[in-house]
Amino acid sequence: MPKNEVIQGLDLDTYKYGFVDEEKHVFRTRPGLDEDVVRQISAHKDEPQWMLDFRLKALKIYESKPMPKWGGDLTHLQDTLEEIYFYVKPQDKMEHSWDDVPEDIKNTFERLGIPEAEQKILAGVGAQYESEMVYHSLKEEWEAKGVIFDSIEDGLRNHPELFRKYFGTVIPTADNKFSAMNSAVWSGGSFVYIPPGVELDTPLQAYFRVNQERMGQFERTLIIAGEGSRAHYIEGCTAPVYSTESFHSGVIEIVVEKDAHFRYTTIQNWSNNMYNLVTQRALVHENATMEWLDGNLGSKLTMKYPSCYLVGEGAHGNILSIAYAGDGQHQDTGGKVVHAAPRTTSSIVSKSISKGTGRASYRGLLKVHDGATGAKSNVECDALLINETAKTDTYPYIEIDEKTASIGHEATVSKVGDEQLFYLMSRGMSEEEAMAMIVRGFIEPIAKELPLEYAVELNRLIELEMEGSVG
Amino acid sequence: MSDTKTIEGVTDAINREAVQARTAGEPAWLASRRMHAWEVYEDTPMPTTRLEEWRYTDLTEKLLLDSLHLGSVEARPDDPSTFPAGLRQAMDEDREASGHLVLIDGAVVHTDIREDLSGKGVILCSLREAVEKHPELVETHLATAAVPPEEGKFQALNAALWTDGVFFYVPRGVRLDLPVRVTRWISESGAAFFSRTLIVAEPTSQVSYVDEILSDDLAAQTLTSSAVEVITQDGAQVQYVAVQRMGRNAFYLSQQRTLAYRDSTLDTLNVNLGGSVTRVDLNARLMGPGANSDMLGLYFGDADQHFDHNTSQDHVAGHANSDLLYKGALDEGSRAVFRGVIRVHEGAQQTDAYQTNRNLLLSDEARADSLPNLEIAADDVKCSHGATVGQLDEESLFYLMSRGLPQAKAERLVVLGFLGEVLSRLPLGGVQEKVTRAIEEKLASHG
Amino acid sequence: MADWVRVAGEGDCPPGQLLGVTAGGAKVVLANVDGHFYALRDRCSHADFPLHDGFLEGSELECLHHGAKFDVCTGAARGLPAVRPVHSYPVDVREGEVYIQPE
Repeated sequence: MPKNEVIQGLDLDTYKYGFVDEEKHVFRTRPGLDEDVVRQISAHKDEPQWMLDFRLKALKIYESKPMPKWGGDLTHLQDTLEEIYFYVKPQDKMEHSWDDVPEDIKNTFERLGIPEAEQKILAGVGAQYESEMVYHSLKEEWEAKGVIFDSIEDGLRNHPELFRKYFGTVIPTADNKFSAMNSAVWSGGSFVYIPPGVELDTPLQAYFRVNQERMGQFERTLIIAGEGSRAHYIEGCTAPVYSTESFHSGVIEIVVEKDAHFRYTTIQNWSNNMYNLVTQRALVHENATMEWLDGNLGSKLTMKYPSCYLVGEGAHGNILSIAYAGDGQHQDTGGKVVHAAPRTTSSIVSKSISKGTGRASYRGLLKVHDGATGAKSNVECDALLINETAKTDTYPYIEIDEKTASIGHEATVSKVGDEQLFYLMSRGMSEEEAMAMIVRGFIEPIAKELPLEYAVELNRLIELEMEGSVG
Repeated sequence: MSDTKTIEGVTDAINREAVQARTAGEPAWLASRRMHAWEVYEDTPMPTTRLEEWRYTDLTEKLLLDSLHLGSVEARPDDPSTFPAGLRQAMDEDREASGHLVLIDGAVVHTDIREDLSGKGVILCSLREAVEKHPELVETHLATAAVPPEEGKFQALNAALWTDGVFFYVPRGVRLDLPVRVTRWISESGAAFFSRTLIVAEPTSQVSYVDEILSDDLAAQTLTSSAVEVITQDGAQVQYVAVQRMGRNAFYLSQQRTLAYRDSTLDTLNVNLGGSVTRVDLNARLMGPGANSDMLGLYFGDADQHFDHNTSQDHVAGHANSDLLYKGALDEGSRAVFRGVIRVHEGAQQTDAYQTNRNLLLSDEARADSLPNLEIAADDVKCSHGATVGQLDEESLFYLMSRGLPQAKAERLVVLGFLGEVLSRLPLGGVQEKVTRAIEEKLASHG
Repeated sequence: MADWVRVAGEGDCPPGQLLGVTAGGAKVVLANVDGHFYALRDRCSHADFPLHDGFLEGSELECLHHGAKFDVCTGAARGLPAVRPVHSYPVDVREGEVYIQPE
């Protein structure tokens, strides 16, 4: 077999989540986005009037905002948006027991290993299929302690006051074009409330699956971590590989109250026909800690910069970001930290790998406002280039308005060293094995922060991606 | 385009008629280049903070174009006794040189070049004179590869309205052991001055060039726009130094492009101490393998001074090096912006490129914004950048005070040490002492 | 304290509206809240964009560009992504003319 066919075969095998299920839905809007589509979504969710008004105002703001000219190439996105389904309702109601989930959807999540993980290592699981959460469950011990882990729709229905107090306050509709779009058409996502003092010892996980071709998924998640609480939320995402483009645009708002500790982990492994434009932001109060672990492996283009607004004295923000850009992929990722209170601290570590025609860009903001005395921050960005067609960029914005702040930023770009490869190969490794080992070493600082099962999975994914990358 | 009121940046003084007036008596190629540049100016919108490269400098708020008149270009006598005191003092410090050139309010009033050098074909003269006497050299290089009008609104304006400037040409193989010194004085308040500098160093030549611009405090906003083109051909070595020590109300705009060809060395130093608003665009292009550019910068602000340095290191060819270090200290309500990009073009393998920006905040009101960017399209490269912002190093301060120095003096020494690192990297006769003295004076004025 | 500067006629900025004006070189946004005038520096403390093209709801100004919110009476930040106040100028209305006192 000619060599490139072998490589192609490998590349297809690489994305093991690319399987397609038969299309089934009880309702979907017509392709494209207009006021009717927004009204239909709202009607299907049987929402209060204020939410419909919120959505319609958001649609106007979305329409008034120009397509961003920075970041990735969005020149053809408008055409894609006219062809996609903004809302696809897979079934009539959400289930709280796996047994009640329809067989074909259940099969999908079983192939993705979700029920198994729930048994073993999770405090709760949510699963979204197309536009709706099809399953949500929380272990009884946490429910008894007042933890809320529900679909965002049930959050609005069952906890209207709590919901309305926080919804849209961390990421206002007008924040950017895609937060406005999400605000108009959001569907699915989680509503999480951790009561003061409650510490979850295992993670909550939400899993997002797109099956329908040419669809847009717009999850909206709102998380409130009460005073002194502690929790970890993991999201994973996959989709079949289609020749047409799909679209995912989430809005994740997190409020971390005084002394709380919250970690949000993303393992994004969308298929390579997906635009992934996500806004994630946490508001961090006094002595609280917010950690973003952001793994971007899939998608055609991802633009995502998880951010921490450190508004309480002594608040801490931590962003660990890893991006893998393979052939035809552009990962435009990074992180933002705004220091707005004394003695706030933050750290951003970003690692990216570009291979083939892939492009990895780090884009970040570090801002220290006047009065954030003694603020400290450190940013490190390392980019690894696997071959000569790969590209990498670094665009940090550092804005310092406080004399007593101490800020450092460093970035390096390097290629896999010939000496390193040669050394490992002299120890009996194949070139591929040696390359995989070097890459594993490169992402280790991030992989070691993941729960073991996920770290193993991340390493396995990267190794698969690296196959066929040498020689 | 008939209604001039709708064109951004066109005023009672700055308009097509003014450009046409400049073309009087000029050769046709120059006149048509001016008119072309003016058309580019008209077609280019005024930069706003929405433009990435102007994000932190609100030009429409800071530059009052409507209030400016064009500087008069009348010739002055070459008589140092009539020169302003500040200019004479700066000139006195620069006796040792291969040649001198002095400009007052944009017009060249004095030129000298050592006879042995002019005998070897070295040319140092006003740009106007060069247009007449060396048209072939000027036509080839002026506003073509370096600082073309298409670069931006103000590059275009300069190419349309320049009145005079410096032409410096060093033939193949000629080496100058002492720098050439250019001193500029601005006194006409409320005026806009446009000047150009063209430096051509032929293969294997060697030269250093120091350009200093000065003024007293000015009563009204005064614009000096300067376009600088430095072309270093194969194997040549050039050091270019620009020192800006203007008074309050000076708006200093300097657009520089350096082209370093095969095996050449082209080092630059930009020192900005004065002025109300300073904007430097420096584009260093590494055009051939073996080219090397060290890019140094130093700024020290107080009151409401605003400095904006916008640099780029364009590695067009592989096997070339560039290394940038910009350091600044900011006191009182001053503000600095540094935006730098290393661009490794496709195929520019074996590039080594580094970039460092360090800021010292000396007051609660000071602000520093730093944007060190990398755009890398080749894999076999070594590139890194770093940026830091912090306050005075407490340890050094404590050490100096423990040796009996009063706090104010210890602080001055630490600032001087911080900025001095930049100067020590370009040891050029007289420059280090002159700049150090200027920083000391500025520090001393803070008490 | 600087002198009072006339920036607009009372009728130029009807109730519920915003108006961008200049006063001694400074860019200022005027807000008319039920007939009471307030003036803020016309620059959002989040990303330096002008505020005068935003929306006024009651006494809350929402920046058009990224949705930051401010109390027009005091300049205080009321919603992300803004976390810092914008400068608030003293305002006086005399004989149908609106005056402000620049910094």
